[in-house]
Amino acid sequence: MRRLKSAYLAAASLMLAATSLQAVRPRMGGVLRIESTATIRLPANPAAVEPTDTATVDLVRLVFETLVSVDGNGIHPRLATRWEREPQGSRWRFHLRPSVTLHDGSTLDAARAATALRASAPSWTVSSDGDAVLVTPEPPLGDLPWVLAEPRFAIAVRSASGDVVGSGPFRIRRADAGILSLIAHDDHWEGRPFVDEVRVQMGRSPGDQLADIESGRTDMASVSPIDTRRLASRGLRLSRSRPLELIALVFEPHRSSGEQAEWRRMIAASFNRRALCGGLLQGQADPANALLPDWLSGYRTESADRPPATSRAPLPSAQRDLIVRVDPADPLSQSVADRLAVDAREAGFSLKIQAPRGLAPRPDARIIRVRLSSTTPERALADLLTRLGARALDGSGATAPSPGAPLDAVRETERKILDASVVVPIAHLSDLYALSESVAWWNAAPVVATGSLDLANLWLKGRP
Amino acid sequence: MTLRARLFLLVGGAVALTVTLVTVTVSNSARRAFEALDRQRTGALVSQFRQEVARQRGDVANRVDMLVASDGLQRVLADIARQATDYSPFVGEAGSLAAAHALDVLDLVAADGTIISSAEWPARFGYQSSWMTARIGRHDTPAFLQPIELPSDTALGLIAIRTVTVAGRSFAVVGGRTLDQQFLGSLSAPAGIRVLLYRNVEPEVARLQLVDASGHVPDASQFEPLISRVRQAGVEATELVASVDGPLSVDAIPLAGLDGKVLGVLLVASSERDLVALISRIRWSGAGFGAMGILAGLALGYVLARRVTRPVERLSHAAGQVAGGDWSVRVDDTSASGEIGALQRAFNTMTNQLAEQRDRLVQAERVAAWRELASRLAHELKNPLFPLRLTVDNLRRARGLPSGEFVEVLDESLTTLDTGLRNLNTVVGRFRDFAKMPAPEFGDTSPNDLVRRTLGLFKAQIDAADPPIAVTLDLDPAAGSIIADAEQLGRAIQNLVLNAIDAMPHGGTLTVRTSRAGSSFQIEVADTGAGLTAEERARLFTPYYTTKQQGTGLGLAIVQAVVADHRGAVHVDSTPGAGTRFRIELPTVSGAST
Repeated sequence: MRRLKSAYLAAASLMLAATSLQAVRPRMGGVLRIESTATIRLPANPAAVEPTDTATVDLVRLVFETLVSVDGNGIHPRLATRWEREPQGSRWRFHLRPSVTLHDGSTLDAARAATALRASAPSWTVSSDGDAVLVTPEPPLGDLPWVLAEPRFAIAVRSASGDVVGSGPFRIRRADAGILSLIAHDDHWEGRPFVDEVRVQMGRSPGDQLADIESGRTDMASVSPIDTRRLASRGLRLSRSRPLELIALVFEPHRSSGEQAEWRRMIAASFNRRALCGGLLQGQADPANALLPDWLSGYRTESADRPPATSRAPLPSAQRDLIVRVDPADPLSQSVADRLAVDAREAGFSLKIQAPRGLAPRPDARIIRVRLSSTTPERALADLLTRLGARALDGSGATAPSPGAPLDAVRETERKILDASVVVPIAHLSDLYALSESVAWWNAAPVVATGSLDLANLWLKGRP
Repeated sequence: MTLRARLFLLVGGAVALTVTLVTVTVSNSARRAFEALDRQRTGALVSQFRQEVARQRGDVANRVDMLVASDGLQRVLADIARQATDYSPFVGEAGSLAAAHALDVLDLVAADGTIISSAEWPARFGYQSSWMTARIGRHDTPAFLQPIELPSDTALGLIAIRTVTVAGRSFAVVGGRTLDQQFLGSLSAPAGIRVLLYRNVEPEVARLQLVDASGHVPDASQFEPLISRVRQAGVEATELVASVDGPLSVDAIPLAGLDGKVLGVLLVASSERDLVALISRIRWSGAGFGAMGILAGLALGYVLARRVTRPVERLSHAAGQVAGGDWSVRVDDTSASGEIGALQRAFNTMTNQLAEQRDRLVQAERVAAWRELASRLAHELKNPLFPLRLTVDNLRRARGLPSGEFVEVLDESLTTLDTGLRNLNTVVGRFRDFAKMPAPEFGDTSPNDLVRRTLGLFKAQIDAADPPIAVTLDLDPAAGSIIADAEQLGRAIQNLVLNAIDAMPHGGTLTVRTSRAGSSFQIEVADTGAGLTAEERARLFTPYYTTKQQGTGLGLAIVQAVVADHRGAVHVDSTPGAGTRFRIELPTVSGAST
C-alpha cells in the first residue's frame, strides 16, 4: 500500500513537472492575430514613414532593422555590433554584424547598408569600408547612434528582383483587403521567431478591438487605460511601454497673453493629475509635471498638483467659463477632459467640454495628444514644440532646442514653457496592449519600453 | 314699411329667434356634456400617470435592491474593502453595474461620502456629493426625487439609497433612473395625450428643461405660465394651453423631493382638438339647422303675411283708386273672411254710397252751374238788351214825329241797336270761346320771350295807370325753352297779368318771374293789390265766378284749363291786404309726352 502510494506520488510529480515544463517551453508555429486602428501601408523606404504613425512604425521595426536600438536601459547593437567616432572629425564608423541574411536570402554587406542610409539621409556622407559603414552627418551630430535608432534609418535594401527587402524577424507576405500578413524570417540573425505568421487586421475601431480581445477573436490589441480593470477581470494580460505620449491642455491664442498667465496657472493648479492617472487612467499613465517624461528628459520635475482650494470667491463669468475642445473621435481625451472639468469645478471654474463634428463656438483651450517620437530630450522637445505649433512658445520667451543642445538648455526651455502655462501638461500615456491568454513570452515583454513590438519572442500556447 | 313687410319680419323674426335659441341651447348642452366627458377622461389619465410615477418609484427601489443583493456588487465592494482607501482601480465599476441593472444613475460611495465610482458622471470619482453624504447611514427609504448633477447639466432622477456593509466597511449604493424623455416614453400615453416633464433644477423657468418623449418641446413657451404657477404654489393646476397641435387641456402635477420642494412638474396634456372639432361640428350643425329653420320661418312668414295682407292690399289698392276718383271700384275677394271680409263689405258699401253722393253732388253742381250760367247769361245779356229795348220803345214813340226828326231818331236808334247787338255778339263769343278751348299745339317755346311779349301787350295800359304800376321782371337766364303751346300759354299769362293790373287800382308793383328747377318750370305773376279772402281763393277757378264788376269769371278758368292741358298746376298764394301770387308749374317736357 505504501509502495502504491509512493508510485502514485511519483507519477503525479512527473505529470506536474511535465505540465510546468510545457507552460514555460516556447512553442513554434501558429498565427499571431493583431488588430490595428490604422490602415497600414509599409513604404518602400522606411525614411518615408511618418514618425507619428505609430502603427506603421511598430511594424516597420518588425520588417526593417536599424543599426542600433534604444530601450529603457539605453542604446543596444542591432545590425551594427559596435561603433566609434573618429577622433579627427565628425565621421562615425559602424561595424556591421556579419552574416545578416536579408529576406531575399542574400547577405547584408556594408556597401548595401551604406546605400540604404544614403537614401534615408541624402545630405549625409555615407560610405563603406570593409565591414564598416562610415557616416558623416551634416551637420555633425554627437549623438548619431541615438538618431540612427529611429525607424526612419532602418536598413531597406533593393533586391535583384527590384523588391525592397529588410532583415527583420518578419517579412511581408501580403497586404490587401485590410489584412497585413507577415511571416517569420527563418534566417534572422537572432533566430527564427516562434510564430509562423503575424496577421494584422487593419481599420478596426478601438471598440471593436476591445470586443475582439475580450471574446478571443484576436491575440493582441491596443487598448485604452480606462478599460484596464475590465480587461484584467477577464484574465487578459497587459503590456505597456514607457510613457510615450503627452496629454496636455493647450490654450488658444486669445487666451495666451501674458496678462492671463496667472489665470491659466490657477486653472492648471486646479487639476488633480495624480487622481486622474491613478483613477481614470487606471495607473497606466504618469502625472505629467513637464512636457517630457522623466525617463526621457533625465530630470524630475516638481509635482504640479496643488491642494484644491476649498473656498474661493466667485470669479467673473469671463474668467470662470472655459470651453475646452476635444477630438470627437477620441473617447480617452473626452474622459480626461471630463475629469479636468470636475477638478476645475471644485476650484470655481466652469469647463464646458466641446466635441464638435461640425462648426462650433471658438474654444478657449484644447486637449491634445502628442506622441514623443524621438529618443533624445532635445530632439523630443523640439519635435514636440514643432507639433504644438508656435503657440506653445507664446509668452514664454523660449526657443526650441537645437539638436545636440545640452540638457540644461532643454530644462530651461521646458521651465519657461511651463511657467507661461499656455501648454499645461496633464499626463504621459504609455502604449498599452492587451494580450490573450494564449500568448506567452519569457522575460522580454511584447511591448518594449520605447513602444516597439517585440513579436519575435512571443509564442502561442495550445493553438496550432 | 308695408303691412306685409311688417308681418313678414315679425313672423320670420319670431321663428328665427326661436330656432336660434333652440340651436344655441342644444349646442351648449352638447358641448358641456362632451367637455364633462373629456374632463373625466383626462382626470382618469392623470390618476393613471400618478400611479405610473409611483410604480416607477417602486421599480427603481426594486432595481437598487436587486443590485445590492447581486454577486457582482458584493464582489466589487469586497474588492474595494480590501483596497483600504485606494479606490482608483474601481472608478469604472459603476458603469457596468448600472448597465447590467438598467439604471441611469449609480454611485458607489464610501462611508465618508467619497464617490468611488459613478455611472452617470464617471469623472467625478474621488469627490464628495453633499446630498449623498447627508443621507449615508440613514434608514433605507423608497425612491425619491433628486436633482442629479451630470457633466453637462443637471438632471432629475428617481433615486434610492441603500447602505451596504461588506467586510466590516459600509458603503452607500445610490441608484436610480433619470426622468428624461426615455422615462416619459415608458409612460404609455394613449393617443391624443402628451406627457411632458419640467425639471425644476434652475432658479428661473427654463424652456430647455421641459421635455417630452420626443425631446425638447418646441412650443415650451406656451406652458411657462402654468409651470411657473405650479412651481410657486406647489399644488396641482389645470389650464387650457394653445399649442402647435391645437388647444391642450394641461394638468400640471408637482413632483416634490424629500424636503417637499418642487423639483419637477409632470404635465399631462390632453389634446382638445377632437373636442374642439366635435364642438365645432355641433356648432356648425346647429348653425346649419338654425339657418334652415330661419329660412323656413321666413318662407312661412312670407306666405302668412301674403295670405293675411292680400285682402288688405286689395282694399288699400281699391281705396287708392277711390282716392284717384274711380269710385266704381269694388273689392270681391271670396277668400276674405272674418274682420277682413267685414271690412271688404263695408268698403264696397262705402264706395257705393260715395258714388251715389258724388252723382247727387254732380247733379247739384250741374244745376248750380246752370243756374250760375243762366244768372251770368242773364246778367250779361240784360245790360246790352236794356238799351235795345229802350231804343225800340223810342222808335215806336217816334213814329208820330215829323219825318225829319223821325229819321234823326231812327239813325240814332239804329246806331244804338248796332252797338248793342255787337255787345251781345261779344258776350256770346266769349262763352263760345270757353266752351270750345282748342287742343294745344306744342312746340319749342321760350317762356322768357313769351313773358316779354305778353307784358308788351299791356305796356300802354300799365304806363297809363294812375297811380302808376311798377313792373319787376325777374327772368331766369337759364330758362331755355320748354315744349308748350305758345298761344294758349300766352293767353293764360295775359289773363294773370290782366287780373294783377285790375287788382291794383291804386297802383302797386307787378312782378313776373320765371325759374327752372329740375324737370319743372315755373312762371310767377304777383301783384301788391288787396289780396283774396279764403272764400275767394276757394272759388277762384270756378267758371263764371268773378270779383270784378266787368269780369266774365272765365279768365282764371281758362288759365287752369290751359295749364291742365300742359300737365301742369296752378298755385295761388294770397294774403289779404298784401297781394296775390299765382305760380304756374309746368313740366319741361309736358308737350312731348302728350
